[in-house]
Amino acid sequence: MNGLSPANHLLLVILMPLVGAVVAWLMGSRGQQAVRQSAAFTAVATLVAAGWLVIRFLTRPAGLSALEPFAVIEVPWLVEGMFDIRLSLGLDGLSIWLFGLSALLSLTAVLVSWDAIKEKPVGFYGLLLLLEAAMLGVFAARDIILFYVFFEFTLVPLFFLIGIWGHDERRKAAVKFFVYTLAGSVLSFLGLLAIVLWHASQTGTITFDIAGLTAGLQAHPLPMTAAGGWLQWLVFLALFAGFAVKVPIVPFHTWLPLAHVEAPTGGSVDLAGVLLKIGIYGFLRFSLPMLPEASAAAAPWLVGLGVFGILYGALVALVQTDLKRLIAYSSVSHMGYIVLGLFALEPLALEGANLQLINHGLSSAGLFALVGMIYERFHTRSIANLGGIAAKAPWLTVLFMLFTFSSIGLPGLNGFVGEFMILAGSFQRAWAGVAESFFQPYLFMAVSAVVGVVLGAWYMLWAVERVFFGPSREPPRSHSTDGHGSHAHHHGAHDDVDRCDLRWHEAAALLPLAVFVVWIGIMPQAFLSPAAPAIEQSARAAREAFADRMNLPPQDHAAGSSIAATASSLPYSPSSP
Amino acid sequence: MQDISPATLLVLVPLLPLVGAIVTVAFGRLLGSRAHLPAVISIAAALGCAVVLLAGTARLVGDGHGGPARPVEMITTLWQWATVEGSQPFSIPVALRLDPLTATMLTIITSVGLLVAIYSIGYMHDDPGYPRFFALVATFVFSMAMLVAASNFLLVYVFWEAVGACSYLLIGFWFRKPEAAKAAKKAFLVNRVGDFGLAVATFLLWMTYGTLNFHDTLSADGVIMPGILGQTRLADAAGYVGGIVGTAICLLLLLAACGKSAQLPLHVWLPDAMEGPTPASSLIHAATMVTAGIYLIARSCPLFMACPDALTTVSIVGATTALVAGLIGTVQNDLKRVLAYSTISQLGYMFASLGTGTLLGFTAAIFHLLTHAFFKALLFMGAGSVMHSMGGVIDMRRFGGLRRVMPITAATFLVGGLALAGVAPFAGFFSKDEILASLHSRGWPDAHHEDHHAAAQKGYATHFHLAASSPENAAVQGENEPRPLSRIDSPATFRTLFWMSLFTAGLTAFYTFRAVFMTFTGPTRVPEEAGHHAHESPPVMTAPLIILAIASAVSGWLLFSTHALANFLAATPSFTAPAVVATAVKPAFHWDLALQGTLAAAIGIALAAYGHLGRRSDGPQMERFLGPLQTLFARKFFLDEIYTALVVRPLEAVAFIFALFDRRVIDGLVDLVAGIPFAVAAVVRQFQSGLLQRYALAGVVGVLAIVVALAWQLRG
Repeated sequence: MNGLSPANHLLLVILMPLVGAVVAWLMGSRGQQAVRQSAAFTAVATLVAAGWLVIRFLTRPAGLSALEPFAVIEVPWLVEGMFDIRLSLGLDGLSIWLFGLSALLSLTAVLVSWDAIKEKPVGFYGLLLLLEAAMLGVFAARDIILFYVFFEFTLVPLFFLIGIWGHDERRKAAVKFFVYTLAGSVLSFLGLLAIVLWHASQTGTITFDIAGLTAGLQAHPLPMTAAGGWLQWLVFLALFAGFAVKVPIVPFHTWLPLAHVEAPTGGSVDLAGVLLKIGIYGFLRFSLPMLPEASAAAAPWLVGLGVFGILYGALVALVQTDLKRLIAYSSVSHMGYIVLGLFALEPLALEGANLQLINHGLSSAGLFALVGMIYERFHTRSIANLGGIAAKAPWLTVLFMLFTFSSIGLPGLNGFVGEFMILAGSFQRAWAGVAESFFQPYLFMAVSAVVGVVLGAWYMLWAVERVFFGPSREPPRSHSTDGHGSHAHHHGAHDDVDRCDLRWHEAAALLPLAVFVVWIGIMPQAFLSPAAPAIEQSARAAREAFADRMNLPPQDHAAGSSIAATASSLPYSPSSP
Repeated sequence: MQDISPATLLVLVPLLPLVGAIVTVAFGRLLGSRAHLPAVISIAAALGCAVVLLAGTARLVGDGHGGPARPVEMITTLWQWATVEGSQPFSIPVALRLDPLTATMLTIITSVGLLVAIYSIGYMHDDPGYPRFFALVATFVFSMAMLVAASNFLLVYVFWEAVGACSYLLIGFWFRKPEAAKAAKKAFLVNRVGDFGLAVATFLLWMTYGTLNFHDTLSADGVIMPGILGQTRLADAAGYVGGIVGTAICLLLLLAACGKSAQLPLHVWLPDAMEGPTPASSLIHAATMVTAGIYLIARSCPLFMACPDALTTVSIVGATTALVAGLIGTVQNDLKRVLAYSTISQLGYMFASLGTGTLLGFTAAIFHLLTHAFFKALLFMGAGSVMHSMGGVIDMRRFGGLRRVMPITAATFLVGGLALAGVAPFAGFFSKDEILASLHSRGWPDAHHEDHHAAAQKGYATHFHLAASSPENAAVQGENEPRPLSRIDSPATFRTLFWMSLFTAGLTAFYTFRAVFMTFTGPTRVPEEAGHHAHESPPVMTAPLIILAIASAVSGWLLFSTHALANFLAATPSFTAPAVVATAVKPAFHWDLALQGTLAAAIGIALAAYGHLGRRSDGPQMERFLGPLQTLFARKFFLDEIYTALVVRPLEAVAFIFALFDRRVIDGLVDLVAGIPFAVAAVVRQFQSGLLQRYALAGVVGVLAIVVALAWQLRG
């Protein structure tokens, strides 16, 4: 397989789920078992191929610049005169981990649906694989047209997944999710079009190539003055509309709890694990590098919204009675950290935010998957009706605790790394990177964000205590008509509890996530360095614009340098046994 | 062991228990009733490594008679945890350190850990969670060893939380008991409040000092990057910031220490933590984890020396906690809770000692930490032994004369009690004496002139007051502010604290012997839960008791008479800061203080004997003299209720309002906006009814609306 060029490899990875969807459809006549097996096979094959591509990216020849895009495919579409339109795919440091995460979580989504989906399995698995192709594509797109097509294409499968295989209020949730996200993304598309047109008016070339547009816009920035019609502001707000809904940034978040609660487990896994990240990815890919002045001007407000989101999401999570809704609100809180890290604009915070995208993808996907498993067993997600699961399903409990600890940022696990870097970066911004007048609010916001760490532990451990510990509680079984309720339906002696621990496909769905949760926590450097140059490149312009705005001397930190100066003049006498 | 390098040994101390834990998790089911083997063997091996390291470090330090101690440290860097380039580079190596303080702590952790693990073979025997327990204990020993061996603040934070997580899992070990699950959550959350302090302190340290490493590092181009507690900065008289930032950092570190070491106002989790298995209480909530706060402050003492206010606050918090917890301890009837409050109180002593900001105070705190680890572990295991044979009952009012039933437990408990009460020549007497001496030296500085002169002549240190006037020390304290910064850092404060501590010493003796007399003397009474075969615990449980009893009996005298520990600890880099060295005094035995301390203990024991010796333990005892105070103490000064009312309920109310706001207002607005197209459509549909009068009405309403709107405009 050495002959496989990276570009073809990438194309193969994106096409595999599509082929798999067709295969699943062909298997339809042979029943649920055949369909789900073929879907699992496709997901595994795609994951292997994607994982191998990620490894090829990480081990690519050292001669190449760290910023060189990898596995580029370009199809000229209209290259003539002023038109320079190509469809182009490729990977770089910004997208590589999200690309891999999409492939990983798609397998999780297939495996957690194993027993849960009994009706119309063909449609379900077909849509799930379609969703996978769209997620892989959105991170691999190198031009705006493809990005937007894939971006919209993530919506459609999920709309049907929620609307058909969801829970009681699935219609409402699906429509709300679809309309809300679509309304935002249409505005985003207008913003992107405006960028293309502005670029064309300045350079005389119509191109949709993201790299080309970024370079062009940094050379000919959109006007930020009243004379220029505040164009950069308008475009920023247009992009913001789409991305903020997707993230979601409070107060544009209300579609999320509803969608999560109603979605089937597999849909929740993809939604929380990958789709929310597209919003942040959009900020990093488009807003920061293309609209640096507007991003810098908006940064203080977005930092504020991020911190508000952290506390707001955590507090609302605290009073939830539905376990899945609680975790949905925890997502709102966690995405607040990422927004904070993004708009702190410090390298440390940005890299932390980027890592936290992956971390949250792993931990929230794991938690949603586990909630789904609990629901399959006990037919309720109500925290009040659950209890003492630890005695019945010890390994399920162990994994839930692991993802909980990851989610509340316990050191040694992945969540801590990102959270710590984001918070340290925010303090750095508050300390030395802001003009005097902003110092106080920034420091206040940074400290408030740390308070969120306490609240995060509160609601998660409260839920763990109620659901997993305490005396074993038998939830009321109102609709035990379907297959699962019956086998554990005797209410008699509870002391020797019926074991209902993880089955093989459930363990297989969660263990890969658990491995990464620990691995990233112990050795984060391996996950930070591939992305670092790309993040720096996309954020540098915004950081410089911010420094200009705040009248700061760029790249200067008084505290560190003065101490280093005194230190070098001092005698040093190392003494070690 | 000759050809194994110290660096390897240092890595092995935490690594072995980790391997033990992993093996237990992997093969626990298979090992069955032998699931303790990986943990016991690995911790024993770790203890071996720690002892070799201790001996090696001691050899390097020398006998301590050659003038001021030279700092001794060794750093080994394992891998780069995270590096981020930027205007202020963020570079975190996974680096372990070895110095006298670390070596001492490692030895305490592994030795108590081993004894607890052996004891648990008997205590946890037949528990369905047997393998889980040993896996957790081994994980805890790993985390705790890493905490004291870590050489940067980030790693300290990592293992600070890791030991908290182990504690959470061990408190909630019997997770089916709702109280245990609740206590575990409470412990974690209260500790999280402390962790908040450590996190913010870490960020501020990083911003202030440009690094989080303790040690100095060499950059690629050969420039020394001074660490926060590295020798370069320690030698630099102006190396530490004071003022608002410095004080904020120190107070945040103190908050963290208060969380982990259960000091006011964050002590409320420790008594509840007694829901966990007794061996876990003994190891984690008495001997080791709760001393992490003392370790942290001792380690970062140069930071505190630049902020006298923060330092004094440490003392005030410590002495107050010691007193309050002692008072609460006097009315508890649950044997384990008496010991829990006693732990809080003794930790308070250590804080009081640290806050004096003298070399004597720092070494005395570590000395007391060491002796306390032995005798408190002993007392807890003794309580566990009682609980084990009494069928799980721990209410002292239901016991009596147990010395006849379980003589070994009774004898060893008595030794532990004597050590805790500070009776000569048991361990607690000597360490408590040093703590009182350090407080006394700050309260009555003139009385200690002699010591300073003597020390100065021996080359130990310059005189206290001379030190303050010499230029480089003036720079240490000055630059930002002169030494007598405020009113709280004054002899009068320390005099008050001294008297409080002395009173607490009496209280300690009282509640300890109240427990001893209630449990082990009087007419023999065994609760019916014990059945007919109440008996002494098996040898696997009593052997650790005996070993610890010997340690509690002799360790104080041994270490005090030779000054071995104080000399050894003085070579810890943090204690070689000029500001600390300047406070060094000649080691001395203070007859006057020893007499006062002994008198206090004697009064306490006598009162306990008057109230409880030889009586039935279930009658009204000393409480009747306390009147309303008894309620106050028994309800723990109502602190739990106050926190619930002032913190938990308001937050829950805010959360409830936010949730309501979320559903009604934010989501309502979204639905409203989304509803506009439908509403418009519906309205328009209505109007196209074809009825003329409707159209006419609409026209009239429209005109009216315009008129009203115009009038409204004109009005303004």
